[in-house]
Formats: sequence, C-alpha cells, structure tokens
Amino acid sequence: MAGPLAPTWTPDSSVDELSDLDRPWVTIVWNDPVNLMNYVTFVLQELFGYDEAKATELMLQVHHEGRAIVSSGPRERMEHDTSRLHAYGLWASYQKDS
Amino acid sequence: MKPFRASRGEIVARLDRAEAGIVALLLDQLEQLLVADADDVAGDPVLERLFPPGHRSDREMAEDYRELTEESLRGGKADDLAMVRATLPVDGGEIRLDDEQAGAWLRTSNDLRLALGTRLDISEDTEPPEEILGEDDHQLAVYYWLTAVQGSLVDALVAGRAGRR
Repeated sequence: MAGPLAPTWTPDSSVDELSDLDRPWVTIVWNDPVNLMNYVTFVLQELFGYDEAKATELMLQVHHEGRAIVSSGPRERMEHDTSRLHAYGLWASYQKDS
Repeated sequence: MKPFRASRGEIVARLDRAEAGIVALLLDQLEQLLVADADDVAGDPVLERLFPPGHRSDREMAEDYRELTEESLRGGKADDLAMVRATLPVDGGEIRLDDEQAGAWLRTSNDLRLALGTRLDISEDTEPPEEILGEDDHQLAVYYWLTAVQGSLVDALVAGRAGRR
C-alpha cells in the first residue's frame, strides 16, 4: 500500500513552506457500516477538493482496508480537517504520522 | 416518496404525509439528544458516534480536541437540523432546496442514519427486514428508507454539480 497521500490541492489552506517541510500529522477516515459509499466520496470532494477519481480511490481504500489517510500537514490543520469530517458524520481522527 | 433529483439549479423531492411525520419525529429525537444536559446523556453511544474522539490513543489530546471543537460541531448540527425542519413539509408534499439547504439535509439525514444505525447496532452484514414483526424491524425499515433518501440526495447533488460545469 502506498504511504500518506498528499492532497492534490487543499482549497481552504494556504501553502506554508515551513509547514510543508514539516508534515508529521495525518487525518484518517475509518470504515464504518453506516456511511454510504457515494456519500463518503462526495464529502471528500467537497472538503478537500479531490477530483472524483481520487475521492473514489480514497473511499474504496477506507472500505476495503478499514482506513485511509485523507490529508496531511501540521497538527492544527489536521485537527481542523478532522472537525470538518466530523461535521459530516465521517468517522475521522488525526494522529502523528507513523 | 419521489426521491431527490436536481432540477434547474434546485434539489427537489416529494414526501408523503407519513414519511414527513417520521422525519419530523426523528428530528425531535435528535434535537433532544443535542440539547440534553451533558450529565444526563454521558456515555450515550449515539452521542459518542456523532462526536467521536479526535485522537484515538492519546486521551489528553482527544480531550483538547473536544474542548476545541464540540461546541461548534454541536451548533452546526443544531443549525442544520433547524434548516431541515424549516424546509420539511409537515403534511407531506414537495421539498425544494437550494445549495445551502441541501447541505443541511445531507448532513442531518446522515446524523439521523448514524443515530438509528448506532441504536440498532447496524453492521455491514445487516439486511433490510423481510417483514415487520416488532419495533426493531420497524426502526430498521425506517433506517433503510432514510438510506434511500440520502442516497438519492447525494446523487442529485452530484448531478447538480455536473450540470453547472
């Protein structure tokens, strides 16, 4: 399996060169039996600006492998991303990248 | 019910009276949970699912996350719920939503499914009830009905986005 996936672009976060060098945190979406596959794909597109192919790939990774990294960056931004996912009811958490 | 579809920049559907009544009841139940005194609902599995820990292994960090985010998450869910209630035809009829309202319906219908799904202990192997023999079968049927409603709403939003490009 591939390592952490960098978003193609993150519409609501400015590119900070220092934080780009220091990206030890990740936001993870976990599989759950309620959220619909098309819903998860849609939410990932809405929140992170992924195109449909990328969002579908991440959704399938969640579905088949139980989890997928959906964003990476500084801790504060991962907290923010996690809360945006929680607002949509996705089962998400953030952690230091391992 | 006529499922959600995109129509000239809006998202439309139609609910009959009984369906609108069920949605209204579920909204009331969700609202009670959201406004309940924290001590009265401590450990409630539905609330734990609606406001999951931000960090899975570090309790202190999870507690910081909760302090930082829970109030605004709760407020957002309450605002969404109010918007759904304001656009729900109580006696049944047409639902006509703009983008913001459709977003509220999307998140709230998901919260209703999460609440029901948690109470019913839904798993990936759960299937719709073949016949309604008791209250749990009834709740399960409602859960799958909501699943169809939400699924059509996602499809309509995707179609609406595609139509605008």
